[in-house]
Amino acid sequence: MENVIEVTNLRKDFKSYSSRTGLKGAFRDLLTRNYKVVPAVNDINFLVKKGEMVGYIGENGAGKSTTIKMLTGILTPSSGQITVNGMNPHKERERFVQTIGVVFGQRSQLWWDIAVQESFRLLKKVYKVSDEDYNSHMNHVIQTLDIEPLLDKPVRKLSLGQRMRCELAAALIHNPPLLFLDEPTIGLDVLVKLKIRDFLKEINEKYQTTILLTTHDLTDIEALCERVIMLDEGKVIYDGALKNLQEKWGEGKELQFQFLEKVGVSELLNLTQGIPVKWEQDEKEQIFTASLEDNDELISQVIAKVVAAFKIKDIKINETSTEEIIRNIYEKGAV
Amino acid sequence: MFYISMFFQYLSQYLKTRLQYRADIFVEFFSDLLSQAINLIFILVVFGHTNFLNGWSRDEIIFIYGFFLVPSAVFSAFFNIWDFNERYIVKGELDRILTRPIHSLFQIILERIEMESLLGAITGLAVMFYAGSRLGLEVHWFDPFLFIVFVLGGALVYGGVFIMIACISFWADARTSLMPMMYNISNYGRYPVNIYNKLIRFVLTWVLPFAFVGVYPAAFFLGKKEWFWYSFLTPVIGVVFFVLSVMLWNQGVKKYRGAGN
Repeated sequence: MENVIEVTNLRKDFKSYSSRTGLKGAFRDLLTRNYKVVPAVNDINFLVKKGEMVGYIGENGAGKSTTIKMLTGILTPSSGQITVNGMNPHKERERFVQTIGVVFGQRSQLWWDIAVQESFRLLKKVYKVSDEDYNSHMNHVIQTLDIEPLLDKPVRKLSLGQRMRCELAAALIHNPPLLFLDEPTIGLDVLVKLKIRDFLKEINEKYQTTILLTTHDLTDIEALCERVIMLDEGKVIYDGALKNLQEKWGEGKELQFQFLEKVGVSELLNLTQGIPVKWEQDEKEQIFTASLEDNDELISQVIAKVVAAFKIKDIKINETSTEEIIRNIYEKGAV
Repeated sequence: MFYISMFFQYLSQYLKTRLQYRADIFVEFFSDLLSQAINLIFILVVFGHTNFLNGWSRDEIIFIYGFFLVPSAVFSAFFNIWDFNERYIVKGELDRILTRPIHSLFQIILERIEMESLLGAITGLAVMFYAGSRLGLEVHWFDPFLFIVFVLGGALVYGGVFIMIACISFWADARTSLMPMMYNISNYGRYPVNIYNKLIRFVLTWVLPFAFVGVYPAAFFLGKKEWFWYSFLTPVIGVVFFVLSVMLWNQGVKKYRGAGN
């Protein structure tokens, strides 16, 4: 399979200045400034193949948006090479953007005051899409996203969920082989999220559309992406299958107990002496969590002991969620 | 070709937007017309008190003023970029512009079209005809054509200077108060330049060439032979400044830092 995105030693530095304190400092800032060069993206490398759906994740300020903006030709890299769809995004911007679709969750592509279909019509002209292509492709998109009844409404009258579906359709008017989605599901309800996910899966299967997705909602990633690239402080700290991440880091299980009577952590610790288990108490002082290895024998032992000793209101057995795995990784700072 | 068709596409988009607000469009048209009428009366009253300024008669000054209004109306209709910094840099709207396959500056010009500003040209023409008839100026067959060329040249001078100022936003992240100051300076172009001292005259001719928006091209129609050379320089200066500003813009876009989410 050909590579759609090739990134080598990509780097983006931002020059920022730190202001000095006090009035005297403010006057000194006027004359000379303390510049600091901050790398937002620091020597990253990765390849994306045609038809892949890749989750690009990281904390706020990890450099996700900066990378996306360099990949889409909005920002110029400080150093390093980017080849996307066989082109240099920034150098050949106008030709290049013809081959990509971009959705920024917090920014609108559509004209605020006029009907959605008018925006579509103009974008169709902007991307030089023929009537035939438009009809065969967009009718399908409009149906799947269920936006037919919204087409004659002005954008300002749409709800966020409705608008987001229209945005997605607008980004696909020229049927691009590569789609960048920056926080596409931010602030959306579960139903809309599901609809968008199903739709993305469908176009990925139908057209082999490559999708690069950044999101804070890891359930999006779980539902869509087999591969994740994880970023921390401008560096790639993990690049690989989401499954591996779960296997490697999600080994333990959690037991949650809620008791009818008042119980202390020390009593529980006494009870499970000799078993490798860690107890935690919820802030509300009602729920106790035991984290331990994923081992059936041990789990049964702990449950048996606890149930025998105290009156139980509720028990839950949890696997470590992706969210927790990722939190763990960030806390430890490496994979 | 593509760019011309895009111009009309965006223009129709603009009209659709305008027609969305039916009541608004009438109110606005009426108030625009009214403010132009007030402008006209104001000009006549103010210049009623001047007679001769360095060899220029009252009616000639009014004529220059009227001419100036035409390119400046064209400028305000198509180069509506005074809030470029806030709208496109601070709010990050330029991100969206840069993901579309049209030159970024052209897109911004298209998005910000404001045709109602062209009404100012009517006032300008009215003022010119008023002053022209009092001066007994004749209209030659080539005058309308030269008029169009000079107006376009003047609008390009105006546009070029303001694009260059907008470009500052690419390098400096602070908001600049240069725009309002520049609007003030541009107003000097509507008076005869030889009433100013040499330095200001030089600046208005070669550095911030607003004299090419008003006095130089208007001097041609007034038959001031000593200024003809400058008059015919108008389209040249317009094209040169505009090309320079586009080159500066292309450099600036590379420096665009984007806005944080």
